[in-house]
This record gives sequence, structure tokens and C-alpha cells, in this order.
Amino acid sequence: MQDQSPSIIAQDGLAALIAALQKQGYRVMAPTRHDAAIVYDEIAGINDLPAGWTDQQDGGTYRLLRRDDAALFGYVAAPQSWKRFLHAPLAQLWQLENSGEGTRISDASAPQDRLALLGVRACELQAIAVQDRVLLQGPYTDRQYQARRQGAFIVAVNCGQAGGTCFCVSMHGGPKAKAGYDLALTELLGEEHAFLVEVGSERGADLLAGLPHRPATAVETARAEAIIAHTAASMGRTMPSDDVRELLLGNLEHKQWDDVAERCLTCGNCTLVCPTCFCTTVWDETSLSGEHTERWRRWDSCFTVDFSYLHGGSVRTSAQSRYRQWITHKLANWVDQFGTSGCVGCGRCITWCPVGIDITAEVRAIRESPAAPGVKET
Amino acid sequence: MERRTIKVDLLARVEGEGALRLTVQNNVVRDAELRIFEPPRFFEALLRGRSWTETPDIVARICGICPVAYQMSAVHALESIAGARLEGPLRDLRRLLYCGEWIESHALHVYMLHAPDFLGYQGSIDMARDHADLVRQGLALKKVGNEILEVLGGRAIHPVNVCLGGFYRAPRKRELLPLVEKLKRARDLACATVRWVAGFEFFDLERDYELVALRGPGEYPFNAGRIVSDKGLDIAVEDFPKHFQEEHVAHSNALHAHRRGGGAYLTGPLARYSLNSDQLSPLAKELAKEAGLGPVCKNPFRSIIVRAVELVYACDEALRLIETYQEPDRSAVAVQPRAGVGHAATEAPRGMLYHRYRIDAAGMIQEATIIPPTSQNQPSIEQDLRTFAGGWLDLDDDTLRLRCELAIRNHDPCISCATHFLKLDVVRD
Amino acid sequence: MATAPHKPRLAVFKFSSCDGCQLSLLDCEDELLEVAGAVDIAYFPEATRGDLHGTYDLALVEGSITTTHDAARIHQVRRQSRRLVTIGACATAGGIQALRNFKDVNEFIRVVYARPEYIDTLATSTPISQHIKVDFELRGCPINKKQLLEVINACVAGRQPNTPPHSVCHECKLRGTTCVMVSSGTACLGPVTHAGCGAVCPAYNRGCYGCFGPMETPNTASLSRSLRAFGLSEDALQRLYRTFNPEAKPFRAESERHGA
Repeated sequence: MQDQSPSIIAQDGLAALIAALQKQGYRVMAPTRHDAAIVYDEIAGINDLPAGWTDQQDGGTYRLLRRDDAALFGYVAAPQSWKRFLHAPLAQLWQLENSGEGTRISDASAPQDRLALLGVRACELQAIAVQDRVLLQGPYTDRQYQARRQGAFIVAVNCGQAGGTCFCVSMHGGPKAKAGYDLALTELLGEEHAFLVEVGSERGADLLAGLPHRPATAVETARAEAIIAHTAASMGRTMPSDDVRELLLGNLEHKQWDDVAERCLTCGNCTLVCPTCFCTTVWDETSLSGEHTERWRRWDSCFTVDFSYLHGGSVRTSAQSRYRQWITHKLANWVDQFGTSGCVGCGRCITWCPVGIDITAEVRAIRESPAAPGVKET
Repeated sequence: MERRTIKVDLLARVEGEGALRLTVQNNVVRDAELRIFEPPRFFEALLRGRSWTETPDIVARICGICPVAYQMSAVHALESIAGARLEGPLRDLRRLLYCGEWIESHALHVYMLHAPDFLGYQGSIDMARDHADLVRQGLALKKVGNEILEVLGGRAIHPVNVCLGGFYRAPRKRELLPLVEKLKRARDLACATVRWVAGFEFFDLERDYELVALRGPGEYPFNAGRIVSDKGLDIAVEDFPKHFQEEHVAHSNALHAHRRGGGAYLTGPLARYSLNSDQLSPLAKELAKEAGLGPVCKNPFRSIIVRAVELVYACDEALRLIETYQEPDRSAVAVQPRAGVGHAATEAPRGMLYHRYRIDAAGMIQEATIIPPTSQNQPSIEQDLRTFAGGWLDLDDDTLRLRCELAIRNHDPCISCATHFLKLDVVRD
Repeated sequence: MATAPHKPRLAVFKFSSCDGCQLSLLDCEDELLEVAGAVDIAYFPEATRGDLHGTYDLALVEGSITTTHDAARIHQVRRQSRRLVTIGACATAGGIQALRNFKDVNEFIRVVYARPEYIDTLATSTPISQHIKVDFELRGCPINKKQLLEVINACVAGRQPNTPPHSVCHECKLRGTTCVMVSSGTACLGPVTHAGCGAVCPAYNRGCYGCFGPMETPNTASLSRSLRAFGLSEDALQRLYRTFNPEAKPFRAESERHGA
């Protein structure tokens, strides 16, 4: 919904934006520097944004570096995505009291707070859309996700640079934020440190109306577009994606699976940082007396052996079967299930793999030697 | 010749595996042995060839109840080789960590290991049937000690945050502040503990121990001080080997320690208190007085009161340290290895714990000597038994056995600790 | 569900150890009296005087086997126990004292004790499972007290304990901790280590040192290649795998692939 031409706000406008959201009762989650990374966490104000910092990402490495300017959004994907806030890592589902007077169940699912997400990248918007498809638009609605998602106010940011492991262009998801936000910012550095603002919803428009802003000039609009075009042209990775589904499903016995299995730690990190992975596991905890029970849910991963446990045993015990499961689900079967790819090209699985396994390289290896059969998994 | 043997095959309510054998002949106590059959684990041998940076993690595993004590003695000894001395917030944080351990360990001993003896119970679970509130009180107090260790150390048993030069991560002040209310409540419970144990019935028995502890200016001792005794000893820590020696006796996997040219000695709360009672906090001093303790205490049965007083002190001190804490710029000072020898002694809950290390230029450990308080106390514990049991021989075997166990538990022996350390000398015949 | 017909009898046994895993039960300050209500703590020398007799429904065994006396005693413990659970790295993987397994223990004895003939010790420290059948292993150095409660709870309820054997990485990511390997080049065994501690070390700015032993399918060879690339020497790499779980097979095997 872009029926408004872009505006410009300066830093005071951004500070006012944060304050206005807080005044409306939102907890503002934004990038902030914590130890050795820029992570998404609650901020108090504009000073908590990591001004003048950037990140350098490659397979298995992430380093924070100082910039020689004061950009507030001069970095790319954080170690974990907004999934932390919308699809909680750990959540209680319900409680049950079983006393002499009978049983009573109380629902623990409704979160009390409303979240504003500030600094959401295009790949992350796409990931949220993918999770919406999985968790809200299927036959079962995930009430936990729905409760957190519905309240969320989203301020997107168009990337001013591409990261070393980024390939959103290949996945048709960025770098320009196209939909799914209330407001979208593009940072303009130079004589004036300002932000081009695009409106994506009515409540976005309403919020902007209360901030100090002015219409963007044609020059400023063109500058913003040029920045985004430059980002698009400098992606760290590429993965031609239109034929990936057929490529992978047609090479389930490729020897590349053995090759990656030798490196893969089956640690699960890739699934845990991936913004679209949605699998969870559920368990019950009872008190010793048996009178009090709680049902909990946490993130799970297809890399655990227990994940594929059926009656009597697990059916995917080898590393190659588990790696193959993840990548074929993400890039191939997901399309059959949900109509889109599961991958948005954020590059987290490459950066945060402790041994730097790169799905774009794995896919390329299969693409470049298609008919090389591998060892059949036992 | 009538011979009577009192045996306890496995001592309960002591840490680790020890047994008692008291031999009486013609109504005279012939011998008392605290037999330590805890399997030796040879820490000083296995430390050789490890990096000095691994020492805090490895020595913590000497004891599950007092891992902090081992970590503290180790890092101070190794830092002395590097010429590093911690001041300010980092020094304070190490004292705070020790406060946590004293609270946890003393609460455990007072309520769960020692009090049942005075009240005639097999253990604290039994005691809870009649005195659930008291047991809960002890557990609540112990929990606060553990919470300090969890926040500052990462976890209560085998904390992960201690490193050479300081800590891997210094806490934010806001992480420590939630402990304040808990410590205030713990302090109230500690005061109640002093008043409770002061009302127990105590044997009016004393021995003229040589009491040995650390003493330093302006503070009740944790990590620093000279080694002093109430018989005139006053030495720097590095001179420990010149004044103390160990021997290996047949009935014990724990080496016995003696003063060179002298006899047994005692370290622990009685010694610490008697040599440092002037350094306690005002509240702790007041409660000690109220409980009938003078400036010195040599009645080992009353050690339970002294531990309770130290509980009050540890709560007071922890509150003071948190209140004055300012976040340091760095969580640790830089330390560089160089070839050399380092010594340290710190006050574990059970007494003075001495470490000595020799490392090479790369920081690899060449030699390690670790002398825990329980091994230093063993000869005194046995002498207690020999002395006191003489006055109890009219009792039946079961009662006599219980009395002897009580006499051992007075000293809160930590037997897993006591069972693996290095000789200093050739044993005498 | 109806309550069990009798309170299960619990016993706690100690072998060669530091006592920390037993202490974890006493560290369940909020739950201890509830545990004492749900089970009959029939034998627990650390906490209570009492005699060994009868059969125990649940035996918790801490410590490794390092003496001939203990090698015999463990069989007796097995005979007296319906379900036997080993708790902690000493019982499950030999403990730090298993470092002797790679050295000459006689030299160790001579170094520590003036009168070696007074010492009865074996050349090795071995896990309990090498001597008797073990029904369940609870990992950790020390174990996590919440997992201990889970084991007791599971026994009372008649189900399997829920103690996931996946990597520590899961716990870091759930907590929101940034990976110390990727962001700082810090050596970390998390990807090959069994979860259970809550990923405490990375939360305190240091790498995992593997005190819960190997995870379900550890790829130590791949991790070691990365750690070598970080600059760890062969000796340091060997020592990293040889700490509190030296007899855990994947760690032992990997440690033997490296060295000075």
C-alpha cells in the first residue's frame, strides 16, 4: 500500500519515531551492539542503535568493525532473526492443576506485550511472510505465533550494503523491501544524515504524520534507489534458484551429500538461525506429586536424531541423510508444501555454521556435476 | 585384657568416604584413626603437562562443595608468578564469589550435616518431619549462597567464570542487584541461625590447639593475608613449606600435616574466628557476643556457632561488596606466563587451603602441590577423638559411636578434597 | 493417574568423585522436601546416617571405578538396585581422574604418596558401564540439578527421562547467545557436546569445554579441523578433548588423533 510519495526524516525524526511507538505501548526491538555482535534486542532510544558499526560476514565468521561514518544501519543480518520474537524459542502452552476437586486447565499462550520491530531487512520481511504462510495460512493456526504477529508494528530498513553471505537477489526477496511493513527507511549519509521514509500501511502513515518530516525531493528519491541498486549488485553469494527444486530432487543420491556429511557437525545451528525454520517439539513437565502439569514447546531441528524417531527408532541417523533432509526441504519440498521457496537468501546458515558450510556452494557443486552418484545411505 | 573397638565403616554426614576406628584397651583409649578410604585421584600428578589456563577448571573438581576455594587458591598462586595482583572491582568480585560459597557450605553443614547430631536425628530429612520450617530455613539460606555463585560464577558447582587475571565476564551491576533483597533476607535467617544453635547443649570441652589461619589488615580473610597462629607464627604464604610438613600414614589416603618442629594444628572457622574476630562486621560481632562466644573459641563442639556467625558475616560482606561494586573496564587483567614458582593460601569454608605451582615459560604446569584444610586437620581430629573419648568410655557402644561421629563432624571434614595431594618430604619412620 | 502403591526407595552411592553430583540433589533447595515426600530416601550417606539393606527402586551412582574394592562393590550395588542411573562425568566417562589412563599410574602414586604400598588403586579410572549394566546415564560435570529432578520424576511416573542428547548449540541459540566460535574465533566444543548445562560457558564469554561429554553424533574430526585453523596446537587440541570425560569414546578417539 504505497499511496504516499516518500518523505524525509532526520535523526530527530527517528528518535521521535521510537518515542512515539513506546508511547503507544510498544516495546521497540531493534539492532543493538552486545558483546561481539549486533543483535536484535529491546532498545530505550536512538542511542542504543549501533552507530558507526558494520559487520563482516563469511562462512563461519562474523566480525564487528568500525565504520568511518556514523551510519545507524550500516550492517546486515543479525545472528538471529526476528523469529525470536514472533515464534518464541521457548513457550509454555498450558498448565493443568489436578487436585482433589478435579482438573483445571489454564491457557498460557497469550503474550502481554506488543512489539515494534525496527530495522527489518527485505529478506527478513520475506521470511516473516513465509512463516505467516506456514503458521497462519495452513489448516491449523499457530495461536502463539498469531498472538505475537498480529500486534507487531514493522519498520523496515533497505540495506545500504550487501553482506558477505547475502544472496537475497537470487531468492527474489530483496534488497528492496516491497511489502509487509508499516514504514520503510533508507538511510542517506552525507551532509545531512537522514532517512527516506516510505509508507506501507495506514498505521504507518498515522505514525509518520506525528513526526517531524518533509517530502523527499526527486534527487533524494533517486539517491535512495541508487543505494539499493548498488546493494543488489554487490551480493556476497549467488544461487540461481529457479531450477533448484528439480536439481535437488533429481540428485538425491549425489556424492556431494557424502562430501558435506564429512564436514557437517549436525549441530543444528543452521536451522536455529534460519528465519523460516519453524519446527518445534513439545513436552510435559509434572510435579512429583502429579498435581501440577505444564506443557512446553521449544524450537527443534531436523538435525537431531530424535527428530526422525518413529516407532522403535530414528530413520535419519546419518549426517548425510539429515543434511540432505534440511536442504531439500528448504529449497525443494517447501515449494510443494507452501508454494514458495523456504530460503530468503539471508546467509545466516553460512555465517553461523561453525565450519562454514555454504548452501550456495553445495547447490553449485551438485549443479556442476549432476550425474555423479554417491554412496547409498545405510 | 579387655579390648573394645568402636567402628563406623562409613561416616555419614561428612563429605566423602571416611571411617572411624577407635581402639580402647583396659578402659584407656589406645588409638583413634580417621580412616580415609576415599579413592585417591592424584590431582597434583595429573596437573603436570596441563596449561596454567586450565587450572581453575581442573582443580574445581577436587570438591563439589568448595570448588571456589580451589579456584581461588589456584589463580592467586599462578597470578603471583606472572606478577599480577588484582585490585578494585575484580578483587571485590573474588571476595563476593567466596561469600557465596561460604554461605552455601556453612548452611549445608550447620543445618544438614551437624545440627541433626545435636537434636538427635539421623539426618535433615528426618529432622524435617518434626522441624520442617527449620530445614526450609537452612535450604533457603543455602540457596542464596548458590544464587551468588550462579550469577557471578555461571553455576554453583564448578563455576565457569573464573580465569587467570579475573573473570571471563564481569557482571553488570544490574545483574547483581536482585541479590540484595535475597541477601537481606538471608542475613535475617543467618541471625536466626546463630540464636538457634547457641541454644544447643554443648560439651564443655576444649583443647589447646595451635590455631592457624590467614590474617590481613582491615578484612576478615578470604583470598589474602599472612599465615598466623595463636602460638606466635606469622609468615608470608611463600614460607608455608618451611613451617609445615606432610606425612603419609597407613590408614589414610589423605596425607597428615604437622608444624615442623611441632605437632598438630587446626585450621577452619575456630581458627579464623579466634585470630580475626576483631575484623568481623559489627552485626556478626554482636551476634557472637550474644551467643556467648568470647574473642577466642577452642571448644570444637561450639564450632557450629562460629559457622553461624560466619554466615552472618558473609551476608553482610556480600551486601557491602554489591553495594560498592562498579563495573570494571575489563573483566580480567592481562597475565603473561613466565617460568617460576607461585604460592597462595585462601580460606576455604573448612579452613586454609594452600597451593603451590611451578610452571615453565609457556605456562605449562611442571609441579603442583595442593594441601586442603581437612588433611591439615586430620591429626587434630584424631587427637580430639583420643582425648574426648577417654571421658565417654562409660557409654554403650552405640552412644559412644555417635559421640565420636559428632566429634569428627565438628570439623566439617571434606574428604574428597583431602584425598589427593603431594608429599613435600620423605616420610619419617 | 493413581499414585504408586509404595514410595520408591532411593539410594545414592559414591565412588571416585568430587561429590558435586550428589550435592546437586541437596542443591534442589525448593524441591528437596517434596522429593523426600515422593520417594523414600533410604540410603544417602552425605545427608543421613542409615544402613544399606534391601532393594532400591532407584540407585543414583556417582563416581568412577578406581580401586579393586570399588570394582567389587559396584556389582553389589547393581544387585541391590532395580533401576541404576549413573550421574555425572566420573560415572559416565571416567572423570578427570581418568587422565591416569593415558599415563603410568605407578608414577602418579609415587609423585603423590610417600608410601605407595599403602595405596590400593587401579591403573585406570573407568566408567560404571564398563563394569555393570546401567539403565540410564545422566551427563554433566556436574549434572544439572533440574535434570536430576527429571530423572527422579521419570522414575516415579514410570517413563523415560527427557534429557535431549543434541548439541549445546541448541541451548546457545535458544538463549540468544552469540556464537563465540563464529564471532570471536574462540575454541568451543559446543557443536560436539551433549546439551544439558544450558550453554553456560558461551554466556560467560568462553568456549564450551565439553563437560557434558559427547553429543549424540559428534563430528569431532570436522570440528578439530576448524580449531586447528584457529591456531590451536596439536597438544592443546588433545588436552581439549581430554578433560572430564576422557573415556567417552568419541572424545577419547579424537584425543588420540592429536598430540605433541
